[in-house]
Amino acid sequence: MDKQLDLLQGTLDMLILKAVSLGPLHGYGILLRIQQISKDRLEIQQGSLYPALYRLEHQGWIASEWGESENKRRAKYYRLTAAGKRRFQTEAEKWNRMTEVIAAILGTKPEEV
Amino acid sequence: MRLWSRLRSWLRVTLGRSRMESEMDAELRFHVEAYAQDLVRGGVQRDEAMRRARIAFGGIERVKEEGREARGASLVESLVQDFRYGLRMLGKTPGFTLIAVTILALGVGSNTAVFSLIDALLLRSLAVPEPQELVHISYGPPGQPGPLSGPMFDRLRERQSSFTDLFAWTNAPMVLTENGVARPIQAAYATGSAFPTLKLTPRLGRLLEWQDDEAGGANRFNAVISEAFWVEHFRAEAGALGQTLIVNGAAATIVGVMPRSFNGITVDYAPQVVLPFAFETALHGKSSGRFEPAQRWLFAMGRRKPGVSNTRAQANLAAIAGDVLKEALPAHYQSVDYLRDGGLSLAPGRTGNSPLGEVYSRPLWTLQALVGLLMILCCANLASLLLSRSLSRQHELVVRSALGAGRMRLIRQLVIESTMLAVAGAGAGIVLSQWMSSLLVGYIEQSDFPVFLDLRPNAAVFLWTIGLAVLTVVLAGALPALHMTRFDTEAMLRSGKQRGLSRRKNRLAACLLPLQVALSLLLVSVALLFAVSTGRLLRVAPGFQVKGVTLFGVDFEHRPEKGEARLELYRKMLDAIRQSPGVEAASVLAIRPLSEAGIDQSAAAVEGNGPEEKHLFQNVVGANYFATAGTKVLVGREFSQVDRSGGTPVCILNQAAAKFFFPRQIALGMHVRSTMPIATLPNCEIVGVVADAKYNSLRQPAPPTIYHPYEQASLIFPDFDPGFITRSRGTSAAVAAFKDALHRFAPDTPLLPVVTMQRQLEDSVGRERLLAVTSLFFGGVALLLTSIGLYGLETQRVTQRTAEIGLRVALGAQRHDVLRSILREAALFFVVGVPMGLALTAVASRFVGSLLYEISPLDPALHAVAVLAMLAVGFLAAYLPARRATRVDPMVALRYE
Repeated sequence: MDKQLDLLQGTLDMLILKAVSLGPLHGYGILLRIQQISKDRLEIQQGSLYPALYRLEHQGWIASEWGESENKRRAKYYRLTAAGKRRFQTEAEKWNRMTEVIAAILGTKPEEV
Repeated sequence: MRLWSRLRSWLRVTLGRSRMESEMDAELRFHVEAYAQDLVRGGVQRDEAMRRARIAFGGIERVKEEGREARGASLVESLVQDFRYGLRMLGKTPGFTLIAVTILALGVGSNTAVFSLIDALLLRSLAVPEPQELVHISYGPPGQPGPLSGPMFDRLRERQSSFTDLFAWTNAPMVLTENGVARPIQAAYATGSAFPTLKLTPRLGRLLEWQDDEAGGANRFNAVISEAFWVEHFRAEAGALGQTLIVNGAAATIVGVMPRSFNGITVDYAPQVVLPFAFETALHGKSSGRFEPAQRWLFAMGRRKPGVSNTRAQANLAAIAGDVLKEALPAHYQSVDYLRDGGLSLAPGRTGNSPLGEVYSRPLWTLQALVGLLMILCCANLASLLLSRSLSRQHELVVRSALGAGRMRLIRQLVIESTMLAVAGAGAGIVLSQWMSSLLVGYIEQSDFPVFLDLRPNAAVFLWTIGLAVLTVVLAGALPALHMTRFDTEAMLRSGKQRGLSRRKNRLAACLLPLQVALSLLLVSVALLFAVSTGRLLRVAPGFQVKGVTLFGVDFEHRPEKGEARLELYRKMLDAIRQSPGVEAASVLAIRPLSEAGIDQSAAAVEGNGPEEKHLFQNVVGANYFATAGTKVLVGREFSQVDRSGGTPVCILNQAAAKFFFPRQIALGMHVRSTMPIATLPNCEIVGVVADAKYNSLRQPAPPTIYHPYEQASLIFPDFDPGFITRSRGTSAAVAAFKDALHRFAPDTPLLPVVTMQRQLEDSVGRERLLAVTSLFFGGVALLLTSIGLYGLETQRVTQRTAEIGLRVALGAQRHDVLRSILREAALFFVVGVPMGLALTAVASRFVGSLLYEISPLDPALHAVAVLAMLAVGFLAAYLPARRATRVDPMVALRYE
């Protein structure tokens, strides 16, 4: 149970970093951006987005400021910090290596062993 | 950078809490509304869109809580939150809070009070470096160690090798003359080795050294003063050094101030001035006791050399004891009571000397045991109180858990509340204990002898109190917390009932009740035992009148009148007092009845019982004494003005002595002679026999006593001054008369504390009164607590059973059936608790037996009364809620269900 949560959490963090790396977004915008990039293949529990955002901000990967939304309402915008950018790169590399390894393992045929 | 951002985020969160909350709120609301707007754009109705958006978002409070946690807000913030919440919860139930804090304050307060007294009297080390190296060196028959004589101390100090040094110390009340006014002070004599051996550092100047204690010399003596005396008399100015004090009529120069923490070597006597023994030798000349082999008045202590064990020191002492005693004891010592069969012995000296502690050690430890039991009772009571409160909070806890509070958070909340109660209770307890210990000291204090006790709570007392508070939290707070939070939220919410849980908790509370009953029965029985015993002691006929009799001490040591002139001074003062308005009779006496002092005598009859000798108590009294004191003269006459020096030596026996010496004859006109080695009194003619009167103690039967007239005895004891005794309509008349006489005839002597005979009597049973009053108080508290506990439990049970009772009434049960069924339930606690309590009391009675006077610790009538009291209070506590149950309206009860 815990392990699954950790994995999900880590993934969500990475997706958020990716979403805001393309430009400042408010929370709802981040949700939409992820759904859009993933072509709605990922289901994200809406509420769980915010604790993740606060954690990332607390760690200094992203920063926030209040701005105005498309329909003239006050909204909190998040952007990637320099530290967040470095962090995202290493995380993404790690993730890619991991998926390659796992894909290779899963794709192994009996005769190759 | 990362650290900085974290710190900034944490600071922002901690300092700007309300801003963070409102921002978070705005942000989350924006999200929900933005999503709803998108749904509306997709063709959904506005209200429906909001509803769906909220569902899609999930539990907003849980998100907020996780958000706070993610920002590092949670630890400090949520503690503060829990604390605030706890305060609010306690404030919402002021009755509960007040009772809980009061219970704790009573438990902690009485424990701390008794313990600080025990600490001050028996446990606390002297405030000197390495106190554990100190030992007492005593002389006396086995089991009765006492002071040394001057020669014993000197010879011992010459020969010993296991101590860095020895010193002698004697507390002596003295008279200080300041600007012509004389007043009593507490002072002490010390050998020059005292302060170096104690390793004390002066507060100011220097302390006494060997050269200060050298005999002879220039008749200039040095003294050190206590810090309190320094502040009081010299406003803590350095100019005090070099000033002269007039003590007992002689001058001494102040050379230093003792440190504040050092209050002498006797725990209840804090000398204001300490003088070298050489001062005493110079003052008294030939009559000084410093080098007198037959006078034992020096308390000797030593400091073991590092590395010398107690056993080695003891062996060393045993090796030299024979020679020391051979050189130091007077030739005739075998015939002197207080020198016979003695030996030198060592005892630990870490805590100093505590004569009061010896007297009060058993009563105080008994009290400590009682308050310890009271504390257990308080904890049990508090636990059941917290448990029954938990029932009413069940709903709140279930709701909080449904809203996302974790189990740890709930437990933490409950523990925090218990801690708050414990802290409040302990705080109130410490305040209460200050007041209680001064009350306790009041019972210990003798009116003519001020008791100094350092009761400032120290680390030991604080640890003890905090330990008790923590114990309470664990027992009464955390354990029920574990118990209470183990529930299935969903099932509880769905059923809306708390049945399963409450019955289990009820059972725990029900187990605690018999324990409370047993403990309070024990406390009540013991209290009754002490109260009845003390009551019997106070009703004993002492053989003298108590009402209207007042005693006055005098200090004529430095009056110029000697010999006949001194007798004339007494005559003039007595005449003046007798003629004062309101005074009915007046006389003088050497030994106050029921004081700790006494004069020994052994005598034999010249005629009658032949040569057989008898140990007697002796008193020296003036003319008209027996009329003044109200002791009946059975045969013959009492002393009068004619019994003067030069006349026939006369004496009066009490009935016990007369019966011994002259069992078959009339004592009147017969003679007795002293059989003391140094004949202290000539053969005297018996002129009267008086009724038996108590001498030292109300507990002991009146001992055989012989009375001598003052004017004849003064020849034999030239240096002693009897006190005055008056009988008057009111104490104030007697005090005024005495003050007036003192002022007219001896204006430069101090007015010593005035003591009424009533007070003298009460002081002599101080130990018994202390036990009786305090244990009655504790017993009362125990009864009250138990009845509160029972009342609380029964009330709650009746509330739970409302529906059942309603149903039974609806089905035709009579009111008294309901009443009986509830009372029967309550009776069960007593069926279990009372035998338990009786068994406990039987065990305890073995320890209190020796403290009782003329009552068996197993006295059946008394224990019956205790059980009845317990049952009566219990019945009342159960009857009130039961009667409420009988008023249940079946319709209302059933509808409610």
